[in-house]
Amino acid sequence: MKKERKIKIEETEDMNEEKYSRESKDPSVLIRFDHVSKFFKDDKDVLSDINLEIKRGEFISIVGHSGAGKSTLLKLIYAEEMPTVGSVYFDEVSLDMISRRKMPYHRRRIGTIFQDFKLLPKKTVFENVAYAMEACGAPKNEILEDVPQILDIVGLGDKMEKFPHELSGGEQQKVVLARALIHKPLVIAADEPTGNLDPVSSIEMVKLLLEINKLGTTVILASHDREVVNKAAKRVIVLDHGKIICDDAKGKYKMC
Amino acid sequence: MFLIIGRALKESFINFWRNGWLSVAAVSVLVLSLFVVGAVFMLGMVADNVLKNVENKVNISVYFKSDVAEEKIQASKKDLEGFKEISSVEYISKDKALEIFKRDNADEQVIMESLEEIGENPLLASLVIKANNPSQYQVIVDYVNNASFKDDVSRVNYGKNKDLINRLNSIILQIKKIGLVLAGIFGAVSILIIFNTIRITIYTHKQEIEVMRLVGSSNMFIRLPFIFEGIIYGVVASLVASIILMIAIKFINVYASSVVSSGNLFAFYLDNALYILGLQIAIGAFLGIASSWIAMRKYLKI
Repeated sequence: MKKERKIKIEETEDMNEEKYSRESKDPSVLIRFDHVSKFFKDDKDVLSDINLEIKRGEFISIVGHSGAGKSTLLKLIYAEEMPTVGSVYFDEVSLDMISRRKMPYHRRRIGTIFQDFKLLPKKTVFENVAYAMEACGAPKNEILEDVPQILDIVGLGDKMEKFPHELSGGEQQKVVLARALIHKPLVIAADEPTGNLDPVSSIEMVKLLLEINKLGTTVILASHDREVVNKAAKRVIVLDHGKIICDDAKGKYKMC
Repeated sequence: MFLIIGRALKESFINFWRNGWLSVAAVSVLVLSLFVVGAVFMLGMVADNVLKNVENKVNISVYFKSDVAEEKIQASKKDLEGFKEISSVEYISKDKALEIFKRDNADEQVIMESLEEIGENPLLASLVIKANNPSQYQVIVDYVNNASFKDDVSRVNYGKNKDLINRLNSIILQIKKIGLVLAGIFGAVSILIIFNTIRITIYTHKQEIEVMRLVGSSNMFIRLPFIFEGIIYGVVASLVASIILMIAIKFINVYASSVVSSGNLFAFYLDNALYILGLQIAIGAFLGIASSWIAMRKYLKI
């Protein structure tokens, strides 16, 4: 356990090291896309020449048709995919400088939320969240302390022993949010989090995300739900056919 | 670290149990191959034992002409004892030879009667030579044929057992070869089956693995349960294989006991049980780890 901790510290120091960073070093920038293109085998570009800066503590909505490249953009951030051209910098460290072994530590800095939840059906709400901690080697007492706390924050403190199928869609998504928050991430990457929710739950979800954002966590919200984006009323980026066609600081949902 | 290992162990036991029939299939094929390995090993040890027994019974008898004095024979004996290849030389006098002959043929009426008819002792005095190593007999025979006392020698009796030993040796070698091939085939098949089993397990845990990766669990934590699962297959299979082997040996004990020196095949097995079990567990665990490692490399994108 002790060893694990020590590695963790080294990890972060390593990632912050000067030699990996380049040119403009605005410490307020958390994520930077530098001429990023992504294409899969014999296919047209999913993303082409994306330049984007996301600041610490920002709330950013990414909108666009399905297939516009929203999900891919998010996947590049949590390194599920690597860019074909260009680099993605996280905390001014290029993600392709992070070795496979260290990649899990990068992913702990990012909480992910999905349209299809990705909860484990055979585990209770508590276990689903605790699982994320177990998987990173957290000691038992820490798990018993943190998990109920985080579930209280999302408003599910009384449903810890329920299974996912016993919850409504909105509640399930809250569990996912709790799981995403358990590592106290720097960024929440939400890919269509309201895609499977009714309008009321959707608005509730956005409110929660705004609240989390207020506490200092950067939120990246990919959505094609007009209501949701307008409710957030924050920076809006419009993607179309893999290109950024709009970047509006005080945005409404639009197609430019 | 212990925490991770403990959780992985727990996870793998649950997997093993919940996969029911899949585990049974994987374990039973492994049992088969380990049984073959164990049986071949056992056979090899028994064969070595038999060979040693037979080798101990081999000797050269040098018969001296009936008119040679005992002192002279004793001198030749001294001469032979000087060889480092020779482990023992025993002098059998005429009287003693007769005694042995009478004892061996006590039931043969005709022989005993004819012996009485001759009236005198027809047998020759001899030296019985045993070598340290069966391959040295030829050298000794050659020496005796050219020795200073060769004129006193009536005949040298050797070769009766030589063919037998050579035949036995080649049979044992054949058995070992066939056994190794069989063990190899079964080993390959069981690697394939465990490989498949683990692949299916990985498939059924696809979602879980995806979530694990997304929440940033270390690769080791994702891998360990599968490796432990492989080890469990190996250990369980080797235990079952040992039990089956034990029962099988107990069963054939009745028929086969005469071949080992102690006269009890089962006891012989028990003497070596720990050795065989250890070998089986080692091979089983190796097969388990190897196959799950290959399966993981192919199907876990980590």
